Amino acid sequence: MKRIAINLALIIIAFTIQNCVFPLIPFLSASPNLLLILTFSFGFMKGQRAGMFYGVLAGILLDLFYSGPFGFYTLFYVYVGYINGICTQYYYEEYITLPLVLSVLNELAYNFYVYVFRFLIRGRLNILYYLKELVIPETIFTVVTTLLIYRLLLYIGRWLTEFENRRDTTIV
Amino acid sequence: MESKYNRYILAGLTVLCIALMGVTMVTDQWLEPLRTGVGYVLIPIQSGVNKVGVAIYQQLSDYGQLKGAIEENRRLQTEIDRLTEENNRLSSQQFELQRLRELYALDQEYMQYQKTAARVIANDSGDWFQVFRVNKGSADGIQVGNNVLAGGGLAGIVTDVGAHYATVRSIIDDSSRVSAMALQSGDTCIVGGDLTLYKEGRLSISDIKKDGDVKDGDRIVTSNISTAFLPGILIGYAADITVDSNQLTSSGYLVPVAEFNNLQEVLIITELKETKDPTGETP
Repeated sequence: MKRIAINLALIIIAFTIQNCVFPLIPFLSASPNLLLILTFSFGFMKGQRAGMFYGVLAGILLDLFYSGPFGFYTLFYVYVGYINGICTQYYYEEYITLPLVLSVLNELAYNFYVYVFRFLIRGRLNILYYLKELVIPETIFTVVTTLLIYRLLLYIGRWLTEFENRRDTTIV
Repeated sequence: MESKYNRYILAGLTVLCIALMGVTMVTDQWLEPLRTGVGYVLIPIQSGVNKVGVAIYQQLSDYGQLKGAIEENRRLQTEIDRLTEENNRLSSQQFELQRLRELYALDQEYMQYQKTAARVIANDSGDWFQVFRVNKGSADGIQVGNNVLAGGGLAGIVTDVGAHYATVRSIIDDSSRVSAMALQSGDTCIVGGDLTLYKEGRLSISDIKKDGDVKDGDRIVTSNISTAFLPGILIGYAADITVDSNQLTSSGYLVPVAEFNNLQEVLIITELKETKDPTGETP
């Protein structure tokens, strides 16, 4: 219960930072996609069901922010949670390479999804320009941020486990 | 067993999302209570974070700008002298204009719309879309389709409204289309946002009739025939107009008046164009 509350708070904070703080930083030409990092990390660490749950939350927040067909982002984030949840069997705490690879793949998939369904269908064919100007900078930023966020999540997880253990022992 | 259930959940969510998308493409009126409800939680957070962020940013940029300010001050002083002179000249022309207007009983006045000011509290951080959120909503009389101004020019159009917030799609968004005209000649054209031009700070102008008289530097305003935008709002200035390869139309670029890099306050016109097409122009 406590975990869910903390993770929920993390998602809302990430959403707020992404929309209210990053745009104010003038030298940041691209910014990391925090919600995507959180969703795939939860999926990867906790499994498919948790991934889908947090995917729905993150997606709904984004769908409420953007106008357009409601569910566009939710659909994608649910799949991010589910597919990264498959990799949970390879999850070890100190193993950072796989999360980084997943981060790149997720980021590319996300941008590809947006490009195909929002730009390509309107006949914008200049994919190389978008790749160079938007996708690659954002992917780099996201991977670097993944390093930090993933550590932070591990730390929070460890702290919570410790907290729960301590509480158990006091009851006994 | 576990993974089998997960697959069912995934399938269920997928169907739900696609159904929602289908329904909301037709109408999203019923979503407003949900948007408003979530807004009650999120808007105070966003406003607060935004206020702190703006305060810090302001401190930093104030310090940085102090040096440039002295030089700028001197420059502005000469500008004021020039403008005072110009103002004298213009006000005498204004009197003349008034007389002539009365003479012609020309009662169509542009830019006399009811406006309300709002603060930008959230931006889209990704680069794909150019949308932002402001801290006024339906409780302040904002409706979907209201035009938004910034820095003396058109900035965008309201696409979603909650009780205390509204989402605005700016005219530099890739999907934005504004029916416009050149102020001098009255030739109509379409001003469209384009992601590939956005970084150069330009928009595209298209569909000018070939014999139309639009020159570089002409003022481009929203047109009378626009379905979503009130007429006569300045959008920007034309640049690099050339004849298209089809030899029927001309196209070029537009330098917008509004500054989109650091939007903080905007004016929202609380009147709707009477055709009431909330979705914006279609190309």
